[in-house]
Amino acid sequence: MEFRRSGDLDEALTSLAELGDKAQVLAGGTDVMIQLERGEISPETLVHIERVEGMRDIAENGRLTLGALVTHIDLAQSPVLCDRYQSVAHAASLVGGWQTQAVGTIGGNVCNASPAADLLPPLLVHGANVLLVSKDRGEREVPLDDFVVGRRTIAREPDELVTGFSLDNSEGRTADVYKKVGRRGAMEVAIVGLAIRLSVDQAGTINDARIAVCSVAPVPFRAQAAEQALLGTKANGEETSSAAALLLEQAEPIDDVRATARYRKMVLPRIFESAVAECYSRVASDLP
Amino acid sequence: MNSTNTSALVNGRPVTINGQGATTLLEFLRNSLGLTGTKEGCSEGECGACTVLIDGRPITSCLYPALAAEGRNIETIEGMNEGSDLSPVQKALVATGGIQCGFCTPGFVMTLTALLRKQPNPSSNEIASALAGNLCRCTGYSQIVEAAMSLSELEEES
Repeated sequence: MEFRRSGDLDEALTSLAELGDKAQVLAGGTDVMIQLERGEISPETLVHIERVEGMRDIAENGRLTLGALVTHIDLAQSPVLCDRYQSVAHAASLVGGWQTQAVGTIGGNVCNASPAADLLPPLLVHGANVLLVSKDRGEREVPLDDFVVGRRTIAREPDELVTGFSLDNSEGRTADVYKKVGRRGAMEVAIVGLAIRLSVDQAGTINDARIAVCSVAPVPFRAQAAEQALLGTKANGEETSSAAALLLEQAEPIDDVRATARYRKMVLPRIFESAVAECYSRVASDLP
Repeated sequence: MNSTNTSALVNGRPVTINGQGATTLLEFLRNSLGLTGTKEGCSEGECGACTVLIDGRPITSCLYPALAAEGRNIETIEGMNEGSDLSPVQKALVATGGIQCGFCTPGFVMTLTALLRKQPNPSSNEIASALAGNLCRCTGYSQIVEAAMSLSELEEES
């Protein structure tokens, strides 16, 4: 197996244009190296992109842009994310230990497309688009919803590289929360992960609600029916319970080594209700 | 199989890394350099026994490609002693009984060394959080946290 270092973006794109699906892109390696070891993938060439310049920035310019090589530690400790994108920072801080967070990247977490990917729910509630580029066709942008198409399956063409993510602006009375259920507080793959983002008007009425979950279906998803149920409400107990029931209808959890489907169905509405309460109190606590 | 050469620093010494695509840094350190202080536990980034520092950051060397270490400064347990003396982290682990079978100890030493360089006076919560990726099946962790706390206090006094 060849190991090909990319000094810059152009070298990486040239390699991918030449090799196509014979290449496996590698950044921090924390997922790819395990899959190689287990024989789950057998590329001819590893295209190493960890050193590519210009893909590790966190920049706000209307929308928020996160470079694909931003590491989990970068996300967890970013002063830009710690307030209005705290679900992203918090989710990143719950991925593996320090050793994984130090090299594992946001681009890797998304492209690995695990049903339990911690970063997918917060990115989904922030309306993330995936930024892709190829040598022959240039740049394109794909909504994250359309990018992750199945368990470990993404809509990246073999000659394309994911360069980053563009997130919706988060201004005004908007707050976000990420909740994760695991057997312990660290080093866990999510049994259930849930992100929520709420915006309210001056009266405290919810005028934008976004909910996304992982580990309860083959692909993390936005729960539109539950989102609709919260719109126009002030997230009181009954309204939140109705939304929770709609969220549960969309979930298709399985039994696996971490938990049973039954447990996931029990815990999902509970973490949803606690997330709504926490998020709403942050966004509306100072209102009369 | 394509083999590639590149160079890096290991414990301050220039080395040539020779490996194939998927050769891990752990395999290179143990098999090519004979630095067997770095241990192989789970091979999946769960246990932290293979932790080394790359440019000061702790990483699990079982998941890091050897060839990705080009030009990097790699520190292993063999580079921790100061002359013939143990490092402060090693001494503290001995003093508190933070070692039993010792298999996980090199990894703990590396993570704690990285933590104390970054944050010389960590709280016990910060220590526990930094050590989330290092598993120990003997000590129950409290003596290991105690070892780091003893250094935290020492640094405060000096």
